[in-house]
Amino acid sequence: MSTDRRLEIDGISKRYGETVAVQDLSFDVHAGELFGFVGRNGAGKTTTMRIVLGVLTPDKGEVRWGGVPLDFATRRRIGYMPEERGLYPKMRLIEQLAYLGELHGMTGSDARVSALRWLDRFGLKDRANDDLQALSLGNQQRVQLAAALVFGPDVLVLDEPFAGLDPVAVDVMADVLRERADARVPVIFSSHELELVERICDRVGIIDRGKMVACGTVDELRAGGQERRWIDVPGAPSDWEAGVPGVRLVQADGTRRLFELDPGVDDQALLQAGLKTGPVREFERVEPTLGEIFRTVIEGAAA
Amino acid sequence: MNARFLGLGGTRPLPAIVLVARREVRMRLRSRVFLGGTIVMAVLVVVGIAAASLLAGKTNPVRVGFSGGSQALEPTFAASAAALGGNVTVSDIADVTAGKAQVTAGTLDVLVIGTSTSPTAVAKDAIPSNIESALSLAAEAARLTDAGLTPAAVKSAMALVPVQLLQPPNPKDTQNVLASLALGILLWIALGQYGNMVAQGVVEEKATRIMEILLATIQPSRLLAGKVIGIGLVGLLQLTIVGAAALVAVHVTNVAPIPALGVASILGDIFWFLLGFLFYATAYAAVVFLVSRQEEVQSAVAPISILQIAGYLLMYAALPNPNGPLATVCSLLPPFAPILMPVRMAATDVPFWQVGLAAGLILASIVGLTWLAGRMYTNAAMRIGARVRFMDAFRGSART
Repeated sequence: MSTDRRLEIDGISKRYGETVAVQDLSFDVHAGELFGFVGRNGAGKTTTMRIVLGVLTPDKGEVRWGGVPLDFATRRRIGYMPEERGLYPKMRLIEQLAYLGELHGMTGSDARVSALRWLDRFGLKDRANDDLQALSLGNQQRVQLAAALVFGPDVLVLDEPFAGLDPVAVDVMADVLRERADARVPVIFSSHELELVERICDRVGIIDRGKMVACGTVDELRAGGQERRWIDVPGAPSDWEAGVPGVRLVQADGTRRLFELDPGVDDQALLQAGLKTGPVREFERVEPTLGEIFRTVIEGAAA
Repeated sequence: MNARFLGLGGTRPLPAIVLVARREVRMRLRSRVFLGGTIVMAVLVVVGIAAASLLAGKTNPVRVGFSGGSQALEPTFAASAAALGGNVTVSDIADVTAGKAQVTAGTLDVLVIGTSTSPTAVAKDAIPSNIESALSLAAEAARLTDAGLTPAAVKSAMALVPVQLLQPPNPKDTQNVLASLALGILLWIALGQYGNMVAQGVVEEKATRIMEILLATIQPSRLLAGKVIGIGLVGLLQLTIVGAAALVAVHVTNVAPIPALGVASILGDIFWFLLGFLFYATAYAAVVFLVSRQEEVQSAVAPISILQIAGYLLMYAALPNPNGPLATVCSLLPPFAPILMPVRMAATDVPFWQVGLAAGLILASIVGLTWLAGRMYTNAAMRIGARVRFMDAFRGSART
């Protein structure tokens, strides 16, 4: 459609009566990018995704694909996995997927071929003629993802695709998402599994109470955060660090201690203070995990 | 169409309405409910027609035996009985005692004894009035002949008074009323069944949340239209099978031709089924958008169910007087027309303008309901969870 394969969410707002679900939310997802969308329950992730899919109309703002506002025809090219899983319980997998493929504009034969291919990919080829309800919940979820992929979408929008999957299924799903992103399909997904998001996403957006409070690569998000060091000084008195300015004890584990450094504080001062009291067995720079960044950002937003 | 429509692979994408309708047809035809329901309905109809043909065959001729001098009355009696609408067989009885024994045993209905001018009729417990009259006429003719009148003079003297009816009874008889009652019940069951199928199907899509995926790729009005068309086609197929079974049964049992079971009537019934189905299906679809769970369907559709039950009761009220004011007015109203109008048309001759007016009114309300249902669908489809208030869905103000 356009050479600019970029999904832009531009200033969308949505309220339900008194409740503000999303407020002036903007971000974009580029071709080839896996975008992780994180936030607490009720933060507005699902509302945002529904707006992108056009099942909800925003009060303000717009969603563009390749610089053009989304319309019905372009929305049909988005693969969608809703938060509330939805497929026909009493329909055979192959028919179900082929039906959705056809609804998205494929021919009957293409849809069947593609449906079989995705079932094979998720290890469900043998179950192609089973009804959905005969499958375990985890397998149903694989079918749900296959439903989002079957028509070869231009964009993928997945609401918690990893929830409830076993570790093997998580790996398969992560591989598939990576592969789609590498095929120049922008992929947005939401998840509460921050470790996983940190591991596989190119960029992360943190949403809180309807607002985007942080957005960027995990490294970019870390840049603004607190520096932390683990240090182990076995022979030191308990308050050996008292003279070092801008240092705060976060956690103690035996003689190992975790300190948080205020911005601009030189970690070498901490090391030297330790060395003055005895041998330092361990001195380690700790990168904050996405989970820690998330908590910091959310707390900062609340303050 | 053809191979492509049957899904045997295709070279071009199909319109969404066709896809939705095709899915409904496939899924329903595969279900045991359809197969079982069709068989039960067809069997009921065939059994009903067989029973009707047995009942119709019950008009056996009255067996009248003549003994001695009364045997001279046989030809005139047979002619008079035929003129009075009686179906008789006439036989000679040699022995009066044996004849009376036959009457007692029930192998003979009436035994005539005595002479031709003063006969006596012997019967077991009753004698049909037209047989009694025919016998009296025959005896009178014999007496007049005996008195010396020529056969021609007797004939003119005995001529029946011609009767002129200002309001002749309807040629469609009780059999027709019964047939139309059966038809009404059948239509009523079919309308209820298929209307409910649409309601359940819509709620299923909301309850299983597939609605959210579907609405991302198909407009609500098309989803609704495809569903109604698909389920309607299944209903049509079922009624056609049942109708064909009825025609075959009529042909095989050779039951007296019942106009209500003619090809034209059955086509007319299917037409009314379609109108009724469209009316009730869209009405059901409009209200069930307000709920999200199967358990809530019954209470949501209650107002419409009540209309349907009222139509059923009205059918019994209207049948005894199919051209009365109650039957006439109610058969014009859209909620009742799909049942009452075909029933009336089977039972009596309905003026053409009434049929046209009823069809016009129901078509107009189908258009109105479709608009309403489409509006409901758009506004309520995504409100999952709490039951949606009617006015909220109608206005589409707040959404969840």
